[in-house]
Amino acid sequence: MLFIKCPYCGIRSQNEFAYGGDATVKRPELNKEISDKEWDDFVYNRKSPRGKHLEFWHHISGCRQWFKVHRDTATHEIFKTLKPHEEL
Amino acid sequence: MTSISSLNKVHHLGQYGNFENKDENQLIKIKEIKNIFIYQVVKFKNSKKNNTEIMVDNLNFPEVLKVNSNDQTRILWMGPENWLVISSKNLLNELNEKFSTTEFAVTDISHSRSIIELQGSDVLEVIKKGSPFDIESLTKNNCTNTVYNGITITIDNIEDSKNQIRIISLRSFGESLYHSVTDACLEYGYKAI
Repeated sequence: MLFIKCPYCGIRSQNEFAYGGDATVKRPELNKEISDKEWDDFVYNRKSPRGKHLEFWHHISGCRQWFKVHRDTATHEIFKTLKPHEEL
Repeated sequence: MTSISSLNKVHHLGQYGNFENKDENQLIKIKEIKNIFIYQVVKFKNSKKNNTEIMVDNLNFPEVLKVNSNDQTRILWMGPENWLVISSKNLLNELNEKFSTTEFAVTDISHSRSIIELQGSDVLEVIKKGSPFDIESLTKNNCTNTVYNGITITIDNIEDSKNQIRIISLRSFGESLYHSVTDACLEYGYKAI
């Protein structure tokens, strides 16, 4: 069981949250010519790192906000949580 | 207002569970709050409007996890730029006058919520049985969204000293929530009023 600090509501149980995927993926720039490989990487291909990872989480049973969690996927230690527009 | 309340089929008056040989004051009181107006107020993402000056029924809109209230109306913080106005008065006209449609979305959701009010010394224990939230940290006029046996709920602490709280859920989850809560109350004995 994780305890995650929502940037809006404070520390809550993992039961209130839903995992939302890799937060490091950047959408290709608008109107830029990109290859099928780049588009494929953006839409489908994900790394599955062992160690520190930046993730999106959704406080679905709380304030219903999306935010970023910097977490170790091996130890589950959470280093920091950020609002979506904030960078590490 | 609808004449059929959301808990009409499950909320039957009487005493249940471990109520024998107990004083009535020791029992948990369970009440359905019905025929009440509920409005959702949401500020648009791109809105620059400052809402701290706006008052509805002489109440400001509260800060994070707080409730502003008077005898008839309670305004709950539900999330950033998102509030729930619960009132026995019809405030829709006042809300529409004060919140411009270009800056805010005001929605009447009176028929889409179930509200259960619990009162009694064991109420916090009942909440602890189904919710991971640290309910002891919730003081008077605090509110929070959390889960109860997997059902998303809002807990509104009305009065610390009386251990009086309200649990608000989507109407479609109302009956399941009522069963969950009353199940948890059986051990202490409860009176449906």
